Amino acid sequence: MPTITINGVACEFTPGQMILQVANAHGVEIPFYCYHDGLSIAANCRICLGEAWAPNPRNDNKLEPFMGGKLVPTCQTQAQDGMVVHTDSPKAVANQKAVMEYLLINHPLDCPVCDQAGECLLQDYSYQYGRGVSRFEETKVKNPKKNLGPNVYLYSDRCIMCTRCVRFTREVSGTAELYVDGRGNREEIDVFPGVALDNEIAANVIDLCPVGALLDKDFLFAQRVWFLKRTASIDGITASGDNLWVEHNEGKVYRIKPRTNLEINKHWITDEVRYGWKHVHSDDRLRSPRRRQYGALVEDDWNRCLDKAAEGLAEAAEAGKRIALLVSPMLPCEEAFALAEFALSLDPHAVLGVGPVPFEGQDKVFPPGASEDDARAFKLYAEKAPNARGVRRVLAALTGAEPLEFAKWTARAQADDAGAVIITANYREACPIPDLLRVADRESGRFVVVIDTLNGPLVESADVVLPGATWVEKGGTFENARGTLQAFDAAIPPIEFAKPEGQIASDLEAALRGVEVSATSASSVVVVDEGPGQVPQAAEIATPRGPTFSPADTRTRMGDTHAALAMFKTDVRYPEAAKPEEADMRMVEL
Amino acid sequence: MPKKTYDATPEHVLCRRIPTPPFGRFEDRRIISYDDYTADSGYEALRKSIGMKPGDVTEEVRKSVLRGRGGAGFPCGVKWGFLPPIPEGKAPGEPGAERYLAVNADESEPGTFKDRLLMDFDPHLLLEGIAICCYACRLSKAYIFIRGEYHHQAKVLENALREAYDNGIFGEKGLIAGDANTGGDRFRVDCYVHRGAGAYICGEETGLLEALEGKRGWPRLKPPFPAVQGLFGKPTIINNVETLCHLPSILSNGADWFCGQGVESSIGGPPSFGTKLMGVSGHVERPGVYEFELGIPLRTIVEEHCGGMRGDKKFKGAIPGGISMGILGTDQYDAELDFDIGRKHNVLGLGTACPTVFDEDTDMVAVARNISRFFKHESCGQCTPCREGSGWLYQLMTRIEEGGAKTKDLDLALEVATSMGSMPGTTICGLADGNNWAIRTIINKFRDEFEARVARTFVPVKVSVGAMAKG
Ligand SMILES: Cc1cc2nc3c(=O)[nH]c(=O)nc-3n(C[C@H](O)[C@H](O)[C@H](O)COP(=O)(O)O)c2cc1C
Ligand code: SF4
Ligand code: SF4
Ligand code: FES
Repeated sequence: MPTITINGVACEFTPGQMILQVANAHGVEIPFYCYHDGLSIAANCRICLGEAWAPNPRNDNKLEPFMGGKLVPTCQTQAQDGMVVHTDSPKAVANQKAVMEYLLINHPLDCPVCDQAGECLLQDYSYQYGRGVSRFEETKVKNPKKNLGPNVYLYSDRCIMCTRCVRFTREVSGTAELYVDGRGNREEIDVFPGVALDNEIAANVIDLCPVGALLDKDFLFAQRVWFLKRTASIDGITASGDNLWVEHNEGKVYRIKPRTNLEINKHWITDEVRYGWKHVHSDDRLRSPRRRQYGALVEDDWNRCLDKAAEGLAEAAEAGKRIALLVSPMLPCEEAFALAEFALSLDPHAVLGVGPVPFEGQDKVFPPGASEDDARAFKLYAEKAPNARGVRRVLAALTGAEPLEFAKWTARAQADDAGAVIITANYREACPIPDLLRVADRESGRFVVVIDTLNGPLVESADVVLPGATWVEKGGTFENARGTLQAFDAAIPPIEFAKPEGQIASDLEAALRGVEVSATSASSVVVVDEGPGQVPQAAEIATPRGPTFSPADTRTRMGDTHAALAMFKTDVRYPEAAKPEEADMRMVEL
Repeated sequence: MPKKTYDATPEHVLCRRIPTPPFGRFEDRRIISYDDYTADSGYEALRKSIGMKPGDVTEEVRKSVLRGRGGAGFPCGVKWGFLPPIPEGKAPGEPGAERYLAVNADESEPGTFKDRLLMDFDPHLLLEGIAICCYACRLSKAYIFIRGEYHHQAKVLENALREAYDNGIFGEKGLIAGDANTGGDRFRVDCYVHRGAGAYICGEETGLLEALEGKRGWPRLKPPFPAVQGLFGKPTIINNVETLCHLPSILSNGADWFCGQGVESSIGGPPSFGTKLMGVSGHVERPGVYEFELGIPLRTIVEEHCGGMRGDKKFKGAIPGGISMGILGTDQYDAELDFDIGRKHNVLGLGTACPTVFDEDTDMVAVARNISRFFKHESCGQCTPCREGSGWLYQLMTRIEEGGAKTKDLDLALEVATSMGSMPGTTICGLADGNNWAIRTIINKFRDEFEARVARTFVPVKVSVGAMAKG
């Protein structure tokens, strides 16, 4: 394999790769602003420049200054076998210093009130490559703040004109709303008059912007980023399987950002997914269990509600009636497994079905005109549930037959022999489907257990309501539209007394067995993140009644016990372990 | 055979039909129509060329060592040689074999107004040059990118173009009507006039291509070079108006004839053959566009042809060819205007060879401030050093001129200027080099004048005296 030496490190590369790409792949640090893996190369920021020497085949392969020894942009110069590149030579360092100085002379230096502070390449590179003092004594150019569209603000005074955002709207979204206006140091990014930056994936420009120029209206002044913790997650609201970072603090989600996965979402996510976590902290969340008492739903503690649910279900089972279980496509595979296993243990002929799979709009591939399989293509899915395929797969493996789709299941669940139904929903909005409400109808005499996250008509008609957890509050595995199984972890603890559905299955089973309340030791309570400040102070975490539900263990058990689920032991993809952050300050013992 | 020295009374080549001293008066200049042009052996060179193999035409141009007149002085024949071969089995202009000529008529370098003369009066000379180039390089379309402010010239060109279409130079029955398109090497060539919107940067060759494509005039990264991937991603030749205007006479008279004018390099570099239009401006008695052989000393131009310095003032300095080139100092009055000038006289190069002459009353600080204002205004804003550095330089120059600066600001200005340019590699195009050279050479060659304007910077130095040093 050809090799290039960058800053003294020998790096193998594939021909065609740029020097900067090779350096990035080998962990050799070269500063860069305008370069982005997902965009065309502009080479306009000029901070990545290095000095290069290449072997000259006409001179016995002796190393000779490349391009006459002038600085070359490493982001735009292809690596050559035997090349030697230095971005740490005096000339290159002088350029880095100069570029940093230039970028800052007209920059407002308002880090204390800038959302980007803490994750800003200007800050980082100033620290690493810049100079400590400014020699600029003139008046700064002040560019205005602009409202670009529904989700994005532009603080053009902070912009460094890397044009990443412009290239994104031209090359990825294909909508070209952004352009460069003006010339020289008065240049600004702008939208054409009357054309807002408004497309399905527009907010990606916020992540692209290496500085605090493009900011998220939703996150504006919401949190200093250094308080945020990030947990690798998967899109929990559409079938995309997009890789995400859920960023949170003290048990509250603040924002969602794309996590690069070149096979799935590349570097992007849709705005829908980015802002699709609002229901997690909705006022309408179910926060504690409820049971029906004298005809009315009342909040009660878990144990009483679990007992009540177990009692109703057992009664139906003993009467020889069917138990019908509807597994929502919003639930991860492990929970589908636990719930179905529980239903089958009650009634070996339980009626298992897949909850309604919402669709909205049409699939759309970006850039427009690209095929789904193009290396750069990014797809928006009309299917608004993360795991319909996974749930089907699990139910099929447990029953040996195709699971019932929703329409068939509603018919079966309303048949005379159905004695009790367990309905899971967990949608982003309270589930208003009339068919489902008919199944849950209390006039029918069926015993109805609803496990859901949001208040709504479905909840109103239940005998027992058990509050479930949204996907950021639990772990599991989703199978996306292209059949990829991806595991994710809980980012935050469930809201108040809510529990992951898998835990509810375990607790129901324990209640049915008559396990007493105190049987589980408190030490088995899973606290999501033990980092300081990550669990809300004095949070009361609902104690489990049955064994603590663990998605990872469940996956293993699924693979072990069912040949048809062997892929859960072998094919599940896990997020890459986060690289340890390199501390840029050394602690000194005093 | 090429000769070594400059000929004081050259034959006029480009100005053959345009009255120019000493052979004519400025006042007698007028537009030369197709008929006038052909009456004076116009389009004969094209006729001769299309009787030759395209490769032979290119070879003749290569032999003449005609160097680009747009500023960089790159040999025209060598540039043409970079074109990839036309795909097997395709004719020029067929889908898949498109290739273009972009004629650089943007002429926006301050102090430069030579192409304008050709377009003002002898448009067919340019059109003939274009036709020869297209024939030699197998280019099916030519775009004349003319600066927006040249509306009169654009009209002249468009009229001439109509005549050329009517008379079988371009179009369906083109490249000399009658025997056009009758097999052989001939093919359809089209020519268009495209008016720029008024940006200096659109004269940079790749900025020009972007502008032609209807985009923002942001110079492109090279490689790929335009000859390989230019306009609309196709092989493209970009030549200056004056460069193309030299082609008819070279083809008529042969390369040897062309090499008989101008001078060999005196420092072992490539030669500077041929004549050159030189638009002289500034503090001379009779400014205007003249045609001289390359190698003529600046002093000769001013003293013998332009009637001397205005009001008999003393020469202080001159910009050799557009402000991007830097400045010639008071002691460089004898500099010869040829392509060696850069290396011999510490300027960026010959540029457009349109000298701007300054007399002793000129305030060089004001000159520097004015020049930096131009670059600040015209920087396309793509590269960080040029975008920010040009603005900063202007601010520094203004402060120095106004008297609010210190010596350290001079050094800072020099540092900023030196940091930018495509030659050190820190920017994409040459505009920043121009800024770099202009400011740097003015400060260096007229340092006293700048120092007189700034207050000294006192650097506090700790001095230890006697016993106190121990304390
Ligand atoms: C900033 C900048 C501006 C330029 N402006 C012009 C121009 O106005 N006219 C021109 O002919 N060449 C201009 N050039 C030079 C062109 O880039 C190019 O070298 C020239 O058109 C090539 O033609 P030639 O080889 O016939 O000289 C400019 C170059 C730079 C860097
Ligand atoms: S707004 Fe941000 S991404 Fe866009 S050009 Fe400016 S710095 Fe770059
Ligand atoms: S050097 Fe200046 S003018 Fe040239 S591309 Fe860069 S910013 Fe634009
Ligand atoms: S990253 Fe190479 S020039 Fe911007």
